Amino acid sequence: MSPLIEVAGVSKAYGGVNALSDCDLEVHEGQVNGLIGPNGSGKTTLFNVITGYERIRHGKVSLQGADITNTTPDRVFGLGIGRTFQLTRLFMRLSVLENMLVATQRHEGWLRSIVRRAGSAQEKRRALELLDFVGITRLAHEPAGNLSYGQRKLLELASLLVADPAILLLDEPAGGVNPTLIKHLADRIRELNRSGKTIVVVEHNMEFVMSLCSRITVLSQGRALVSGTPAEVRSDPAVLDAYLGGEDDPSTQRQLASVAPGSAPAATVGTPPAASPRFPRPSPSEPRDDALLRLRNVTAGYGGGDILKDVTLDVPRGSITCVVGPNGAGKSTLMATISGLLRPRLGDIRFGHEVISGRTPKRILASGIAHIPQAHSLFPDMTVRQNVEMGAYTISDRALVRRRLAAVEELYPIVRDRAHVKAGSLSGGQQRLIEFARCLMLDPELILLDEPSMGLDPLTRGFVFEMVQQMNARGKTILLVEQNARAGLKLSSHGVVLENGIVRLTGSGAEVLAHPEIGALYLGGAVATAG
Amino acid sequence: MSEPGSGAPGAGMHAIPAQPPPARRAPVLGAIGVTLAVFAAFPVLFTDPTTTSIAFFTLIFMISATAWNIFSGYSGYLALGHAVFFGSGAYAVAMSAKSWHVAGGWPVFALLPFGGLIAGAIAIPVGLVALRTRRHTFVVVTIAIFFIFQLAATNFGFTGGTSGMLFPIAPFSAANYNQPFYYVALALLVATTFVSWSVRRSRFGLQLLAIRDDEDRALGLGVKTRRVKLGAFVLSAVPVGMAGGLYFYFVGQVFPQFAFDPLFDLALALMAFLGGLGTVAGPLLGALVLESLQQYLTQTFSSDAIYLIAYGVLFLAVILILPRGVVPSIATLVRRRHAARSHPAGTMPEPRLRETAA
Repeated sequence: MSPLIEVAGVSKAYGGVNALSDCDLEVHEGQVNGLIGPNGSGKTTLFNVITGYERIRHGKVSLQGADITNTTPDRVFGLGIGRTFQLTRLFMRLSVLENMLVATQRHEGWLRSIVRRAGSAQEKRRALELLDFVGITRLAHEPAGNLSYGQRKLLELASLLVADPAILLLDEPAGGVNPTLIKHLADRIRELNRSGKTIVVVEHNMEFVMSLCSRITVLSQGRALVSGTPAEVRSDPAVLDAYLGGEDDPSTQRQLASVAPGSAPAATVGTPPAASPRFPRPSPSEPRDDALLRLRNVTAGYGGGDILKDVTLDVPRGSITCVVGPNGAGKSTLMATISGLLRPRLGDIRFGHEVISGRTPKRILASGIAHIPQAHSLFPDMTVRQNVEMGAYTISDRALVRRRLAAVEELYPIVRDRAHVKAGSLSGGQQRLIEFARCLMLDPELILLDEPSMGLDPLTRGFVFEMVQQMNARGKTILLVEQNARAGLKLSSHGVVLENGIVRLTGSGAEVLAHPEIGALYLGGAVATAG
Repeated sequence: MSEPGSGAPGAGMHAIPAQPPPARRAPVLGAIGVTLAVFAAFPVLFTDPTTTSIAFFTLIFMISATAWNIFSGYSGYLALGHAVFFGSGAYAVAMSAKSWHVAGGWPVFALLPFGGLIAGAIAIPVGLVALRTRRHTFVVVTIAIFFIFQLAATNFGFTGGTSGMLFPIAPFSAANYNQPFYYVALALLVATTFVSWSVRRSRFGLQLLAIRDDEDRALGLGVKTRRVKLGAFVLSAVPVGMAGGLYFYFVGQVFPQFAFDPLFDLALALMAFLGGLGTVAGPLLGALVLESLQQYLTQTFSSDAIYLIAYGVLFLAVILILPRGVVPSIATLVRRRHAARSHPAGTMPEPRLRETAA
C-alpha cells in the first residue's frame, strides 16, 4: 500500500542548527501514526513543513502521490490536512462557537460572504455536534480565552473537524492534560480513526502513543531513526539510546518497556530521580504555624465567575508543596492569585506576617514571591544573559546584581556558557533552567512554579525536577503545580489536591499520593470530601 | 448590536444547554429608530448654519471612522493612511465634475459613488503593497504611502498643484445651504454602518476577527488571509472616498494639504479607539463625541489650540478609565451585571469537563 503522505529527504536548518536533516516519513491511510522522539528531534518542525508553515529547499512532501511541497497552509488545509499546535492556538477573543465556525468551508461569492450571517443553521448544528463529541457543548458561548488548558485542547481539535479533514496532525494532544482527559482524548482519536480519518500524533506520553498508534516513527536529531509497530519500536535499542543519550536511565527504560499495546491507559508516570540524600527534605509533620504563605477563604475568578472557591491552604516554610488536580481545577488561577496577577474577590493571603492580597504584582514580587508561569516565558530574541538580567530589573544596586549573577552562573553553568545565545534557540529543558536562573536573581523566598515539566521528554523532566529539589535544598520554598501528579507529589513534602476550585485533600506528598481517592479523582468521579 | 457574535442565537440553536445572554432585539431596534429620528430631525430643529455645519462635519467623521473600523478594527491591522482615500475621493469628484461639466447641486452628489470607486481602486495596489507586512511595519508602510500621495497631489499638474481644484457652485439658498449635504451624509452614514454591521456578523467578518486573534492559525484553517485582508481594505476605502468627495464639495474646493491631512488619519484611529475598536457602535460614538466637541470648541473659543487640550484630556481619561474603549467596557459591565443577577454568588454554573469526559 502506498503511503497517504510521504515525506522524502526533507532538510531544514535554523541559524546553523539542523532541525531536520534528510528526514523521511510515511503516513499510512486509515491508521493512527505516532511520531516520537526526544525534545528537539524535529517533530514539530516536520509538522510545520507538511502543513506549509515552514518552506523547505531540500526534500519533497507528497499527498497521495501528488507533490505538495511548500504549499501554503490554507491550501494544505483545503486538501484535507488539519493540524493542532503544541501550545494550543485558538482565537481567544472569539466565542467557542465562533472558533468552530472559522474553518467552515463554504464556497460562496464575495458579496454573499459579506452579507450573509456567519454559520448557517446547518453549520451551527454541526459545530454543536462536534462540541458535544469532545464534551464542551455547554461552553459554546464562552470566549475561548476563558477556557482551561484542557478545554482549549478539545476545542482546537473540534474546530478542525468542522471542515472534515481526512488527515489530522495532532501536536502533543496529551501535553499538560490530566489522565482522565488523556483517556477521553484517546477515545475521541480512536473514534475519529474508526470513522475513517488518518491520524498522526506527536506525543511524549509513551503510554498514550503506544496504546493508540498502530505504527510509530521515532525521530532523533532531525532524522527518522526507526519506523514500525509499537512492539518493534519499543524493543529497538536505538530508540532507547535516542532518548537516553546513550546512557541507561532505568526510569525511561521502564516507561518504554512496561507498556503493552492496548493496555488500559493508567496515569503515566516518569519516575523522578529519588531525592539525593544530601538534601534532607522537611518532614511532613512539620507544624502548621510555620507556614510561609497562608491563604484564608480565597475566592477568585475572571469576569464570568469564580474559579477558586473558598480556598484555605498553608505553604510550610522550606517545603515543596505540590498542587495537583484535573485540568480546569484552578491550579494556574491559584498561582496567578498569589502572585497578584489576579485580585482575589474574597479572602486574604498572608506572606509571613504581611497581608499581600490586593497588592500589585510588582509589590508582591518585591516582597519575595517569584512566579514562573506555565509554558515558555523567556524573551526568545534576547540572549540568555539578558533574560537572566531581566530577573533583576527591579534591583538598582549594580554590585548586588553582579554578585547574584555570579552566584546563578555558578549554580547553572549554562548561563555563563551560552550567555550570548538567543534564549529562543535553547531546548525546552535548557529554557526551564534559564527561567529558574532569572527568578533566582531576585533571591525570592517563595517560588511559584507552574508545570515545569510541560513538554519535556522523560529524561529532561527528571533533570528539571532535580533542579527544583536543588533550589529547595538551598532554602527556597516552592509551590509547584504539576500535571504529572505522581511525579510531582513524589518530589514534594506537601501535597494539595484541588478540584473545581475547591481544596479536596491536603497532607504530606506521600499521604496524598497514597490516598485511596486520588485515583478516582483522576480517573473520573469526584473525591469524597474528607470528613 | 455592537457585538452580534455574542448576542442572539440564530434559528436551530435552541438545543444549546448554555444560554447566551437573551436576545433583546426589540429594544435595540427601538433605540436605532429613535437615534435615526433624532439625526433626521436635527437640522429641522436646529437651523442655525453654524450648528448644522458642525453636525455635517461630525457625520463625515462618523462615516470615515466606521469605514476605517471595517478594516482596522476587525482585522487588528492599524492603517494610518486613510486620508489617501479621503483625498482621492475628493479629487476624483472634483475632476470628474470639471471634465464632464456637471452642474452644481444634486448632480454632483451623483458623482460621489465615482469618488468611492476611485478610492477603492487605489486601495487595491496600496493594499497589495502594504499588506505584505504585518503589525508595526504595516502601520509605518501606510504612513509612508500616505506621504507619497500628499506629495503627488501637490506636484502633479492635473491636480491643480498647491492651488487645488474648485467644485461647481451649489445653487442652494444661503439659509438652507447645509441641509442637502447633511442628508446625503446621513444616508451615506446609514449605508456605511449597515455594511459594518453586516461584515461584523458575516463569515467574512469572522475571518477578519480570526486574523486579528491569530493570523497564522486562521491561515491553517483555510482562511485565504491575503484575500480577506485586501477585501476589507478596499471595502473600508470606498465610503471614505465618498465622504471625501462630499466634504470638499461642501467646502467648495480641495487643496492637497487639507485633502491629504495626517491629522485625519490620526483622528479616525483615535475616534475608533475611544469608542471601541472592532465594534459597530464604537467608532460612531467616538466620532460623534470627538468631532462635535472639537468643532464646538473651535467655534466657541475661535482658537484651534483649545480643542487639542480638551481632546487630550478626554483621551487620557478614557485610556485610564475604559482602556478598551467605551462600548466594549460598557458591554462587559452590562454582561457582568446580568451574570450576577441570574447567578447569585456561589451558584455560577461551573464548566465541568469531567462529567462529559468520564
